[in-house]
Amino acid sequence: MAELYAPAAQDTSVKARVQRFGGHLAGMVMPNIAAFIAWGLITALFFENGWLPNEKFAALIDPMSHVLLPVLIGYTGGRMVHGQRGAVVGAVATMGLVVGSDSPMFFGAMIVGPLAAYVLKLVDGLIAERVRPGFEMLVDNFSAGIVAGLAALAGVLAIGPVMRVFTTAAGDGVRFLVEHHLLPGAALLIEPAKVLFLNNAINHGVLGPLGIAESSDSGRSILFMLETNPGPGFGILLAYLLFGPRALRPSVPAAMAIQFLGGIHEIYFPYVLMKPSMVFAAISGGAAGILTFMVTGAGLVATPSPGSIFAYLAETPRGGYFGVLAGVVVAAGVSFVVGSLLLGFGRLARDEEGM
Amino acid sequence: MSSIEGERIRKLVVACDAGMGSSVMLAGQLRRELRKLPVTVEHHPVAAIPPDADVVLCQAGLAERARAGAPGSVVVGFRMFLGDPAVARVVAAVKQGGVVVGTTGN
Repeated sequence: MAELYAPAAQDTSVKARVQRFGGHLAGMVMPNIAAFIAWGLITALFFENGWLPNEKFAALIDPMSHVLLPVLIGYTGGRMVHGQRGAVVGAVATMGLVVGSDSPMFFGAMIVGPLAAYVLKLVDGLIAERVRPGFEMLVDNFSAGIVAGLAALAGVLAIGPVMRVFTTAAGDGVRFLVEHHLLPGAALLIEPAKVLFLNNAINHGVLGPLGIAESSDSGRSILFMLETNPGPGFGILLAYLLFGPRALRPSVPAAMAIQFLGGIHEIYFPYVLMKPSMVFAAISGGAAGILTFMVTGAGLVATPSPGSIFAYLAETPRGGYFGVLAGVVVAAGVSFVVGSLLLGFGRLARDEEGM
Repeated sequence: MSSIEGERIRKLVVACDAGMGSSVMLAGQLRRELRKLPVTVEHHPVAAIPPDADVVLCQAGLAERARAGAPGSVVVGFRMFLGDPAVARVVAAVKQGGVVVGTTGN
């Protein structure tokens, strides 16, 4: 059935390598998503323009985004490289960036966490065979402690300032795209990369960290919605439900529920991959959605993860529902229309049955 | 490894990019289908497949990474997350016996 539409997705090792790199970035963020959600909910509720403004609770917002979240990322990044010891060193090293920084240092944490853990791994390798029996604990604890302390100092002195320049530049770049109304063009990059299973890398590795920096200033960010909009995937699935190959249609309603309500976007990727021109439906839907978000000034307070409509509703700031929902609906509508055109309004399915 | 007898499968791993979304969904389905059989079904990130996995199921787009990360397992790539024949063949092999053959390329 799937073979009807055919060409197999290309599997090159370049793709696998990009996926693996992106997987590392996302892998430092995604295990900590619950903390991001907690921060997002607290922000949405108790921020000065939130549902229940409360100064006492709002005092949580800044320390959580500036300290807790980067440290969690550095911790997880360290753990990926060198287990629990690496995690601890990664967390301490991240503190070196966090201190004295005005914006959340997510990208910095993604670098210093694994880096500090890697240094410890080398140190551990050097001294592993040379410790006298009975001195293992002393050596293990102090080698990790010293590496962690030095990494934190390096963060304060060198890596922090460099990363601050980088973070500022990245933020300026995004602001430039927003101010010049170029952001919808991001869909050209995001939607094709998404169906090649780079969705987590793009959202959690790049857009989420940029978005938190913006949202901790202004209480909302459009960047959270560039990749996570459930609209384009829903439109494509709807097009398949009505006009796709008949053998595929029975499985589509379940896929729609899983995608739109459950937020597991992966489920629609195969429907694009089996007919690669469908990526134009995703791009046009995505771009139309972003344009709608821009025009209405929509934004979310934190990364909606998974990209379910329920996560969208939970993380919409007070008074922001119209723009958020409009962007989802417009994206779904546009990708449905373009997708239906690409599927020939069912003509292709009928031709196949005639054969 | 390139193939394994259905009755020798003890651990079936479903892998996706993060090991948190689609793999959890499919693993839940398979766990229900294979309940009462001596097979454990787990979900993991494709970059962290446990070495004792007998068979790894993942979307064809991630199969290359799965094969690189789990050289000792039979990696079966599938296309659709719902009702894919490749997944059904693995389930049938576990239930009724038969050979599970790993996919190569796509």
